[in-house]
Amino acid sequence: MAAPAPRLDWQFQLLDLDPRPPAPILVPPPPPVEPGESEAMRQLRASLGTSVAAKIRSGAELLRRAANSGSTSAIPTTLHAVDALLGGGLQRGKLVELVSRRASGRFSIVLSTLVAATTMGEAAALIDLGDHFDPQLAAENGVDLRRLLWVRPRTVKEAVMSAEMITATGFQLVIVDVGLHPIRGRRAPDAAWVRLARTAESQGTAMLVSSPYPLTGTASEAVLKASFTRARWIGRGKAPRLLDGIDMNLTLEKHRHIKPGAHATQMFESAEK
Amino acid sequence: MTRIACFFVPMFPLAARLRSEPDLLHEALAIIDGNAQNAHVIAATRRARAKGIRPGMSLAQARALLPKLIARARDAECERTAQEALFEVAETFSPRVEDAGEGIVYVDVTGMERHFRIDDSPEVALAKAAIAAAEKMGFPARVGIAASKLAARVAAELPQTPTIVAAGKESEFLAPLPLARLTPELDAATTLRRWGIDSIGELAGLPESEVASRLGELGRELHHAARGIDPRPLIPRPLPPDFREGMELEWPLVAMEPFLFIASAALDRLSQRMEIQGFACKRLELTLMLEPDGFYARAIDLPAPTRDVKTMLTLLRLDLEKNPPGAPVVGFTLVAHPDRPRRAQLTLFGPTALSPEKLATTIARLVSLLGDDRVGMALPVDGHLPERYDLAEYAPPPPPQTRVKPQQSRGLLAVRVFRPPVSVEVITRQSDGETQIASINGEGDLSGAVRMSSGPWRVESGWWSDAPAAREYWDVELERGGIYRVYQAAPSSDWFIDARYD
Repeated sequence: MAAPAPRLDWQFQLLDLDPRPPAPILVPPPPPVEPGESEAMRQLRASLGTSVAAKIRSGAELLRRAANSGSTSAIPTTLHAVDALLGGGLQRGKLVELVSRRASGRFSIVLSTLVAATTMGEAAALIDLGDHFDPQLAAENGVDLRRLLWVRPRTVKEAVMSAEMITATGFQLVIVDVGLHPIRGRRAPDAAWVRLARTAESQGTAMLVSSPYPLTGTASEAVLKASFTRARWIGRGKAPRLLDGIDMNLTLEKHRHIKPGAHATQMFESAEK
Repeated sequence: MTRIACFFVPMFPLAARLRSEPDLLHEALAIIDGNAQNAHVIAATRRARAKGIRPGMSLAQARALLPKLIARARDAECERTAQEALFEVAETFSPRVEDAGEGIVYVDVTGMERHFRIDDSPEVALAKAAIAAAEKMGFPARVGIAASKLAARVAAELPQTPTIVAAGKESEFLAPLPLARLTPELDAATTLRRWGIDSIGELAGLPESEVASRLGELGRELHHAARGIDPRPLIPRPLPPDFREGMELEWPLVAMEPFLFIASAALDRLSQRMEIQGFACKRLELTLMLEPDGFYARAIDLPAPTRDVKTMLTLLRLDLEKNPPGAPVVGFTLVAHPDRPRRAQLTLFGPTALSPEKLATTIARLVSLLGDDRVGMALPVDGHLPERYDLAEYAPPPPPQTRVKPQQSRGLLAVRVFRPPVSVEVITRQSDGETQIASINGEGDLSGAVRMSSGPWRVESGWWSDAPAAREYWDVELERGGIYRVYQAAPSSDWFIDARYD
């Protein structure tokens, strides 16, 4: 039976495994530094809820997060088809145009957007050129009417002027609905829409223009076109007939950052059903 | 020791006029008092004085020296509003302010110098700040600070401004001045002159009891004043509840634009004054003086307190266009009823809140553009008729403290309401024993064969009132596209389209 050989110290001297002597220190290491957090920051963090405080490390980060979440995020319409086509909803600081000559559903998109924005606590304005808004239905749909400024101009020129004033005030969502064909008053020049788009950009306002035919020209970030649809009815024969809803076909006609041409279908249900 | 600052505006009638018409500052302008043959110059601009125009000259003498002299009559309304504005400037330094009239205001600035420790003497800094504040409001004011009102006024009247009389040195400061500075009454002045008293210092050197025994209580008061003792306290008065600006015009105005040009300047001054006090205008009252006599008054309620001159001017223009005075205007007064501007606590993490000041201005401008019945917050109203609604002043609640997720839309089909409903002709047919709508004949898109219809649904409202409504509603889809809400009104049996599903 073999026994292990005893370990000899000289066997390891050639391998030079001994730890090296410490290098001479010319400059003493700096003392440990505490995290750069001022007393004010600590107090602010203490005053916040734990879920919020954990996410904040500095004022710069707070500003960066606010910039990321505030100015570039979108106001969703909460309609799957519209949000999918527009990449999440109406981008803040951008003008989106919704066009449909005969199809139904344009005003329903407007209403859904108002529901989303006002329930988020955002200040919204509806510039209603055709005087078509129904407060009863809007309230039933979920629009927080307290946060909605309802403006009823008589001409396109007044509508654009009102939109510019409201946007410059800092409203987060401004919707210009020019009503049905024919539009009241003469068309506004392209420069007016460009100016409106620039105001929206400078204020970070999400702007939606709903019209029966294209108005905004090069000023718009995206153009959604709704095509002709038919209504869905329920009840046949002697059964009482009832409007069930409509199906709306949407096409992304133009977008500065998304390839246009995508299609989607959006369903709307009748409130009376 | 009490320290009194005196604001003094030299040639106050001229300063008041130039405040209303600043374009005349570099012109040869004279302010005239009296009528016809009695018209005489009471103040003149530097350019007019350079040509030899002096106070006391008759207008004819002044015109002989300078034919192109611009003469303006003394304007009581201008002077009154200018005095109020000067009072308001003084009140920004201390609440203890006495209005002495004619461009003179006393302010108790005891202890105020501690707020003005800059480089030189604190009281000099205070006086310079007072002069700057008055100049900002258009007054070439002089300021003097002393322990008594008389000493402060005399110090303010000196051409070198500001003049500070050190505490306890009032009698020394007043001593070399002529007795006329004390403004004694005529009898007392004659008596003192007979005694050989010419300067204030000589009066102060007399024994007080001897002066009092010969001139009575008046003599005692004069003696105290000559020694720089002012036993009368300041008599502060509360600010008036409104702000007023006005002017008497040189000639009658018949067109709107010239009047609005003058009114714009007056509104600008009102806005400045309200800004100093931290107020905004909630209600604007306009009184026009008409030729040959009579007044015309209008009141404009602003939708929200604002100091925006453009907004107020637009509302004024719209109101006057709707309700013209019907006679030439020879003067006007604008009264702004103040209110506190809206304030709000801004949130750090939630959605951005609207600035109340900017929102109020925007609402006012929208109202001036569109009318007050076309801007506001929509309100649902109890009832059964679909077109009912109400409008209220837009005053959004504060945004949530943190961002919240949006409520998922129910995807409901909206309707576009037609206000008023569109009258149409409807052809019905019987199908399986039921009435169906066959076609609609209206204007534009509201016409064509009907693909599908459903109804009727009866709505009855206000049967107890003088205007009951009974309707039968139908939903109609046209062959050419478009789904409409149609109703037949009873008892006329007329058909209307009141909404489109969209």
